[in-house]
Amino acid sequence: MSTNTTTMDFFAKNDKISNIWLILTLLISLFGVYGVFNVLINGHDVYGVTRTVPWGILISTYVFFVVSSTGLCLISSMGHVFGIEKYEVIGKRAVILAILTLLCGFGVIAMELGHPFRMAIYNIISPNFESAIWWMGTLYGVYLVFIIIEFYFLMKHNHKGAFYAGLGGFIAGISAHSNLGAVFGLLEARPFWHGPYLPIYFILSALISGTALIIIIFNISYGRPSNLPEKAKNALTGLSKLFGLFLGIIIFFDIWKIITSVYGAPPEKYESVMALLTGQLSFNFWFFEVMLGMLIPFFIILFTKGRNLTASLIAAISAVIGIFYMRYDLVIAGQLFPMREPAPGAHVQSALQNGMVTYSPSFSEISIVIGALGFCVFLYLLAEKYLNLSE
Amino acid sequence: MFLLKTKLNRRKFLAYSGGTLAAGAMATKFSTIKAIASEHGKQSKEPGTKTVPSACAICVNKCSLFADVKDGVIHKLNPNHNFFKSRSMLCARGNVGAKVPYAPDRLKKPLIRTGKRGEGKWKEVSWDEAYDYIVENVIKLIDKYDNRSSIAFASTEGLQEEFFRHLTSVVGSTNSVRHPTLCLASNIQGYSSVYGTLPDADIANAKFVVMAGSNRAEAFITPDTIDLAKNRKEQTFVYLDPRATKSAALADKWFPIKPGTDMAVVLAMINVIISEGLYDKEFVDKYTHGFDQLREHVKKNTPEWAEKESEIPADEIRWMARKFAENAPASVWYPGRRSSFTANDVYYRRSCAILNAIVGAWDRKGGLIPKSGISLKSHEFIFPLYDRVKNRIDGGKVNFAADVLPEYIKSNKGMPKDEVAFLSEADGSWVLFRDAILKQKPYPVKGMFIYKQNPVESVPNRAKTLEMLKSMEFICTIDIQMSDTAWYSDVVLPESTYLERWDPAHSLSGVAPVVIFRQPVIEPLFDTKSMKDITVDLTEKFLQKDAFWVDAWEEDKAYMEDYVKTFKGVPMSHIIEHQLSDYPGAYKMLKEKGCFYKTDKIPYGKTLKEGARLKTKTGKIELASVRYPEAGLYALPVYQKPSQPPEGKYRFVVGRHAQFTQANTQNVPYLLEAYGHYENMLWIHPKSALKQGLNDGDYAIVKSSAGEQKVKVHVTEYTRPDTVFYLHGFGRLSKWLTNVYKVGASDAEILEDYAETISGNALLHETFVEIKKA
Amino acid sequence: MSENSRALKLAEDNQKLANKRKKAKEKWGIVLDTSKCIDCKACTVACKMENYVPVGFYNYRIWVAEDTHYAKYPVISRSFQPSQCQQCENPPCVHVCPTHASYKTADGVVMVDSKKCILCKYCMTACPYDARYESHTTEAIDKCTFCYQRREEGKDPACVETCPPKVRVFGDLNDPNSEVSRLLAYNEYTVLKPEKGTKPKLKYIK
Ligand code: SF4
Ligand code: SF4
Ligand code: SF4
Ligand code: SF4
Repeated sequence: MSTNTTTMDFFAKNDKISNIWLILTLLISLFGVYGVFNVLINGHDVYGVTRTVPWGILISTYVFFVVSSTGLCLISSMGHVFGIEKYEVIGKRAVILAILTLLCGFGVIAMELGHPFRMAIYNIISPNFESAIWWMGTLYGVYLVFIIIEFYFLMKHNHKGAFYAGLGGFIAGISAHSNLGAVFGLLEARPFWHGPYLPIYFILSALISGTALIIIIFNISYGRPSNLPEKAKNALTGLSKLFGLFLGIIIFFDIWKIITSVYGAPPEKYESVMALLTGQLSFNFWFFEVMLGMLIPFFIILFTKGRNLTASLIAAISAVIGIFYMRYDLVIAGQLFPMREPAPGAHVQSALQNGMVTYSPSFSEISIVIGALGFCVFLYLLAEKYLNLSE
Repeated sequence: MFLLKTKLNRRKFLAYSGGTLAAGAMATKFSTIKAIASEHGKQSKEPGTKTVPSACAICVNKCSLFADVKDGVIHKLNPNHNFFKSRSMLCARGNVGAKVPYAPDRLKKPLIRTGKRGEGKWKEVSWDEAYDYIVENVIKLIDKYDNRSSIAFASTEGLQEEFFRHLTSVVGSTNSVRHPTLCLASNIQGYSSVYGTLPDADIANAKFVVMAGSNRAEAFITPDTIDLAKNRKEQTFVYLDPRATKSAALADKWFPIKPGTDMAVVLAMINVIISEGLYDKEFVDKYTHGFDQLREHVKKNTPEWAEKESEIPADEIRWMARKFAENAPASVWYPGRRSSFTANDVYYRRSCAILNAIVGAWDRKGGLIPKSGISLKSHEFIFPLYDRVKNRIDGGKVNFAADVLPEYIKSNKGMPKDEVAFLSEADGSWVLFRDAILKQKPYPVKGMFIYKQNPVESVPNRAKTLEMLKSMEFICTIDIQMSDTAWYSDVVLPESTYLERWDPAHSLSGVAPVVIFRQPVIEPLFDTKSMKDITVDLTEKFLQKDAFWVDAWEEDKAYMEDYVKTFKGVPMSHIIEHQLSDYPGAYKMLKEKGCFYKTDKIPYGKTLKEGARLKTKTGKIELASVRYPEAGLYALPVYQKPSQPPEGKYRFVVGRHAQFTQANTQNVPYLLEAYGHYENMLWIHPKSALKQGLNDGDYAIVKSSAGEQKVKVHVTEYTRPDTVFYLHGFGRLSKWLTNVYKVGASDAEILEDYAETISGNALLHETFVEIKKA
Repeated sequence: MSENSRALKLAEDNQKLANKRKKAKEKWGIVLDTSKCIDCKACTVACKMENYVPVGFYNYRIWVAEDTHYAKYPVISRSFQPSQCQQCENPPCVHVCPTHASYKTADGVVMVDSKKCILCKYCMTACPYDARYESHTTEAIDKCTFCYQRREEGKDPACVETCPPKVRVFGDLNDPNSEVSRLLAYNEYTVLKPEKGTKPKLKYIK
């Protein structure tokens, strides 16, 4: 335990991060300001969400962020919690990004909630312990505290502290995250989501996000794969292999999810899955989710055995893009089967001819999403540039 | 027929009967009056909640209601459960009444046109300015044409219409024209020719009901609608309509009958009932006249013949006939409401009345029941008969009367060619009336007062109505909103809405009569007045103008001064009290329970009692009419084959909807939502749509000889392939009807302006249209 | 007072009333005989008036959908399916609400305390009947309250009261002598989506 760390340890300038990138990402985040102002002035009408699809791209982006955060936390804990030395190197970077993605996630959902401040109050004075959202919110709050402490200890090279905080973060993260799955999984009304599948699936997909993001941020820190120090190379090679493994598992999961949803055409589930396979979400599904999100990275890793870090980087980028759409598809597909038949007079909002409903994000929603993504990258680059994230 | 008495023998008096009261009776009560008036003024400003009984005025039903008022604002209008006539309901429109006074589009101040007609440029003026403008123009017109009848008065029913009629009499015109000939004139005529009256149907107790064309579940909600729905499981309900309307949803059997052939089915049913001996012999012998003639008359009208006409299978017609007789007297061929269908309508209605009569389903439980009323005390009001007055413009012999008939019926011997045989003197015949004005025959009519009616949207052939308005030198419209007619007027007077004013008591006649009234639920929100106040104010103004009285006698003026005194500052509550003074406790009941009635039981059999006489010439049920042959008409209903749309054309039928029965509620956003669309749509059968190359959701041009409209296409199995339809009251011309201005299509625009010449009713189902993709 | 503030006040008054009626013994329910429905929409408009539901095509607590069994000219069968919040005995919307904004009163009416609602819309995704909407007037989720404001006076809900053929009958399911109980005793009936386990208190006579 070292108690006499200097501030030099905390801050260090990384010249690999050019100001151009900082400015660019800052500009992108400013784009989000448009959406924020629009909704503050004109209310939620500026969103594309409807009575039938009340959760839109802001929810899915929130999920994307928090899944990333959880994944980063889980993967990083391999090093300083579970003591796999090889992975200790990833600790600081993973945890700072976990913090930033979580904050950005919170930011996005605050824009989606009608009354984020009420939430802060009534979550405490009128909690409903039956509500998955309550647990999710609360646990993510706890999780945030843990990972902030964890990061502090990591920066201070307080390994014991980092261990405990990391363990706390790990447990809170897993709980929070499976609760996020449960937010969907507990909805009897929505057969596409309902069941224990989602909590498990969410953890698994968090691991993919985590590994992919770590591969990406190390490349950012060092400019290119060839610049990576040996230790990092080692860790990333290991991670790449894990990455491939997780991808394999999720492909397996997905195949069975689809088969069980198509076989015998179980009501509502079937229609939702068909919206993915052949319907309104099919391009998202096949191109982004299946190709970019799973098959391309999986085969890259399979053929390079994870040893080619450039290839791994490409695989990781492809996967992260795919995963963003995966979240979107998951959130939207579950709501596309209306709760009432869109018969004349039923006033089922945004109903299509085929009996399903539809959703497309509004410009304001998209601007907030892009802004949040940009802001997250900006913050990370800032951290990378000024904090001492190397070991 | 309508000759005026000469100046010598007229003895000056034209008695006018109305719910009004002598001046003397009022004077003593003057002080009480003031108190009540101011009390009412205060009440609506008071904080807190109150419940005020009154009555709806959105349609003719006038359902009694209780208004929940919170802090001076109407919160909700609730049905009055004492008011058995509405079966404790308020319909969608009645409910939306709570927002009527607050409607952003309503008229708030008197307006005088500043731009061109229809341009929409107005200046707000004070009531005094508006009155002066009106009085000046009226006097100018009368002088110019030396004829008080050069000013026409158009109105539609309502409790304040009486005062508009007073205004007509004050001005002294004979040219009043009212809504019945756009609605049920032929029905009244047809049934009256058989029974001396238009009866109601005892749907609550009927076991077998046939309804043809009348769309009771949709057009508007009456007691019959409700009874049909309530009896859904117990009653057999057969529905004949080219469209599968919501009434079809209630029906046990729906037959998409070929339009205009209903009479063939009725005659065939009569044929079956007589030939199979199923009629009520005793009843027929005792109460009817002309059965033997009828028996001969219908011999040729076999079900097989009727099948060819109507496309309803002969077996089904037989089944209907037998069921009808079997369930008698609890059988009803529904008398319907709006009956402005095809040219032979009066004879058709006669045949329906006859069908019910031969099975004895008259004035007995479950059959047709003559309406009764509660007679209210009224005052014979005396209006002057001036010198400068001429006969009704559409009354007596009209040499162009045949022009309004559709071609195919012109050779029919039972259809008058030079007059309307039974024209109502108060109502006129709208189509003929307008033609006469346009032709300036026999004299020019150049001024117009319009109360509550919107002829631009309700009289077929909108272009012609606009032309008529254009030919006017002066138009004054009184309404609560800027109707299309108001839009083309010179001066627009804003009436207080029905929730802001008193209306006199009124007996709703029916199988069980009941009296309603209106009182202000809130104070008037804007600078508006009731029709009563407007008439009184204008009369006062006229009194100040000597030029107005040059053709009147001194007493005339004195009577008018009395008239003003009768109403000026006299609260309606006192008038109502007087109206009800024959019934002790009635006023109290009215004020507390919102309505007054003696019994809610139906008094069956009054006309079947020994010595009772119907208001027909023989005093009996006239299966063969006595008066008709005298007027050169057929004694018995003769079927006339209607013309059918030529290849490539479709019959356009009109229809109503529970949210928009008339043309006054289309602008209400709540009702558009309830209707489910923001515009009306053309119903067209898939086969016909295919033929015209139309898909659901396309826009189409619907064209007739009267005009054309662009309308959204709704491809539906719910209509006959040869029949198309769209809803009334869209595609409006007034920009102040913001939600429906030029939205959707107007039926008035494309309807050809035919009428029949027995009752003078317009014919709204004689228009054939071409349909092209827009 | 604007329409918005009247709506808010009504919502607040209903919470107070629910508090006051903490010991209520009734279990309110509605029995419907939809065969009588003529799709006149008196109920939907009455609801909007009574409860200050704002204008808007998708702002509604109650609806009347058309049920087309068969429609091939000339054989056509039409009927109507009026409905609203099912006032579930086992209401998923209440279970999922993080702040207890959605709750069930002692007499079994599911309501939203607009002040507590954070507009997470979880209840909207949880409700199997699409019975909820986001209200601009209360800035919270809004839904059928069985016209709770009328419980004190014992008046029928607006939609029940105004319906021309009286498709709906409102009453206390706990009271064996109520009309609703009797209707259920003597008629076969069903509920919507029974498989969801929500135990609706809207019962449809077959
Ligand atoms: S008020 Fe009654 S009849 Fe009319 S739509 Fe509603 S439930 Fe049906
Ligand atoms: S939207 Fe409001 S009522 Fe619905 S679950 Fe969230 S907090 Fe509860
Ligand atoms: S119908 Fe929907 S809103 Fe109503 S109680 Fe059930 S789950 Fe809740
Ligand atoms: S019970 Fe009241 S709140 Fe519920 S739908 Fe009926 S009118 Fe609306």
